[in-house]
Amino acid sequence: MTDPQALEPILGPLERRRPAFNDDLPHDERFALFEAHVTAGGKVEATDWMPDEYRTAVLRFVEMHANSELMGVLPEREWLMRAPTLRRKLALTAKVQDEVGHAQLLYRVAEDLGKPREAMFEDLLAGKTKFHNVFHYPTVGWADVGMIAWLVDAAAIVAQQALRDSSYAPYARTMRKICWEESVHIMHGRDVVVTMVMGSEAQRAAIQDALERWWGPLMQMHGPRSPREKDRDLHWKIKARTSEELRQEFLTIYVPRIRELGLVIPDPVLELDDATGVWRYSEPDWDELRRVVTNHGPMSQVRLEFRRQARDATKWVRDTILAAPQAA
Amino acid sequence: MTSPRLEPWEVFRQEKDGAPMQHGGSVMAPDRELATHYARELFGRRQESVRLWVVKRADIVDLADQDLLQPPLDRSFKKPGGYVMRDKLAAARVVSGQSKPKARSK
Amino acid sequence: MSVAAVPGVAVGELLRSMADDEFVIGFSDSEWTGIAPQLEEDVAISSLAQDEIGHAAALYALLGELTGEDPDAIAYDREPVAYRHCRLLDHRRGDWAMTIARRFIYDTADGVRLEALAGGSWAPLADLVGKLVREERYHRMHASVWLDRLACGGDEARSRLLAALTTLGPDAATVFSPLPDEAALIEAGILASPMPELETRWRTAIGPTFATLDLPMPPPARDLAHGRLDHGEAFAWLWHEFNTVRASEPGVTW
Repeated sequence: MTDPQALEPILGPLERRRPAFNDDLPHDERFALFEAHVTAGGKVEATDWMPDEYRTAVLRFVEMHANSELMGVLPEREWLMRAPTLRRKLALTAKVQDEVGHAQLLYRVAEDLGKPREAMFEDLLAGKTKFHNVFHYPTVGWADVGMIAWLVDAAAIVAQQALRDSSYAPYARTMRKICWEESVHIMHGRDVVVTMVMGSEAQRAAIQDALERWWGPLMQMHGPRSPREKDRDLHWKIKARTSEELRQEFLTIYVPRIRELGLVIPDPVLELDDATGVWRYSEPDWDELRRVVTNHGPMSQVRLEFRRQARDATKWVRDTILAAPQAA
Repeated sequence: MTSPRLEPWEVFRQEKDGAPMQHGGSVMAPDRELATHYARELFGRRQESVRLWVVKRADIVDLADQDLLQPPLDRSFKKPGGYVMRDKLAAARVVSGQSKPKARSK
Repeated sequence: MSVAAVPGVAVGELLRSMADDEFVIGFSDSEWTGIAPQLEEDVAISSLAQDEIGHAAALYALLGELTGEDPDAIAYDREPVAYRHCRLLDHRRGDWAMTIARRFIYDTADGVRLEALAGGSWAPLADLVGKLVREERYHRMHASVWLDRLACGGDEARSRLLAALTTLGPDAATVFSPLPDEAALIEAGILASPMPELETRWRTAIGPTFATLDLPMPPPARDLAHGRLDHGEAFAWLWHEFNTVRASEPGVTW
């Protein structure tokens, strides 16, 4: 005789009643029900009804994330051909491959919201949509490869972990997969950095130099402080944490790890206030951030042009064999 | 010559032997062969799956009709929660003088 | 077979040729990472490139055991003239058709080579070959799927494929270039058949596919005797690239 208690996980209540806003009601009522659902922690699937504001907000958020993964490939890609050992070559190829894989996952989420991938690529190349600041800067050596894989990925993962419970369920599920895959990248990056720090004078100096060049963009990466009440992405629970919360978390975890290697962070003001548990730091250059994300960064145009040319060179394959569907 | 267009293929994966097939995500592909390749790449390149099912999204029946899945009348006779016997059992123990059987250890 | 009985020089040349082949094609194909024709295909070609580098690493490790050298030193620290990959792989990456044509030719030829090494008398190599064979199946699947699509994909796709085959044709069979002291490998039971026989077997294997798709079979290789020597400008560029960081400070740990 089967033990009834063993059946409970199977026969327990379904986790999700189909939300009422999917019923055919007047728009204002649907909007109110949707808002109540989301603010109470309810999830939204691709096939649910969504107010335009929500759909637009999620799409913009996911599209920028997808663009960043795609553009993020370029700074590291140059070094694939130059990896100095077989193992580093394998690790870097796997990492860059993962980034392309993440771009695929994220563009898929965006496609299912109604925007075809070709339209997204067009908008990226035309400068109508953005990608994260850190990918607009040059890489000058192998030390940069280590620094990006470690600290840039770390800053990104702090943001990504906070998205695992996004109200938009397809995005949340994708973020869980991405976070799982990203943990390996940070280890690879940290390994490269530690190896060089313990290596020759020149290697150690190169790492210190890389830290000095990347610190500014890293501090700008999570964005300027903004009041919680004004943030629509927070309101819709597309994201759960503010820019400042993410930046503080990054500093809390990584400043000690940077300092334990004997590296000097180029911000004399940077210090933890023990009383409040809050890090003080020099105000990041928000003008620089604005300039860079509007494609006026040192490598913005070069990289967009590189993408444009690569796309043109393979257009014939898409036209004949891998043609993406037109607008839904 | 009209070329086949990319369309979404859903990928289900099995984490380990005996586990249920779980939805992993989707790939865009023009046909079955490339869909299989891409499914392997996106959901199996790290040896993280022991089996994959790859199926055209257009071939999936999506049933979300709440009249069918969540009909309104009481169906508690179909669930363990519909059989609450605590008081009856307590009364039976009083009559029999027996104590409640010990809970089985897990 | 004991290590003492292994014809060391001959096996070394064999391993070097195979490892260099995988190393060079892996490097070339990794150039597609981030810029392949479609996102899903980008992930696919990256896996193939990684597999090739992984195979190269395993082969360099085995060679390192024989010669006592560090595998990275073998892979990176030779002058271009000392590399022994085949001339088929001395071309630039080219367009997608070139990459697919080269992969198809190389994967099918490598398949025949591996078959001739399977179950050989030197266990470490036989074991490794057993593993490589299983991984290479996936590569051949991908190459076949794409060769088919390009050949039947309309005028532009087909003409690009034909152009690629024309360029690569005279170098295609260099996978089967004669190895120094091949006879010793055969006598020792490591290699089952000589290279000319393997080349014939390869042509027989790909013949039906080329016939069905109406593609020209690669001609006999130009200057087969030097098929693994005389690397040109494309390899010189590649060699310079993969040594950029390593040569910046020789001897340090990366």
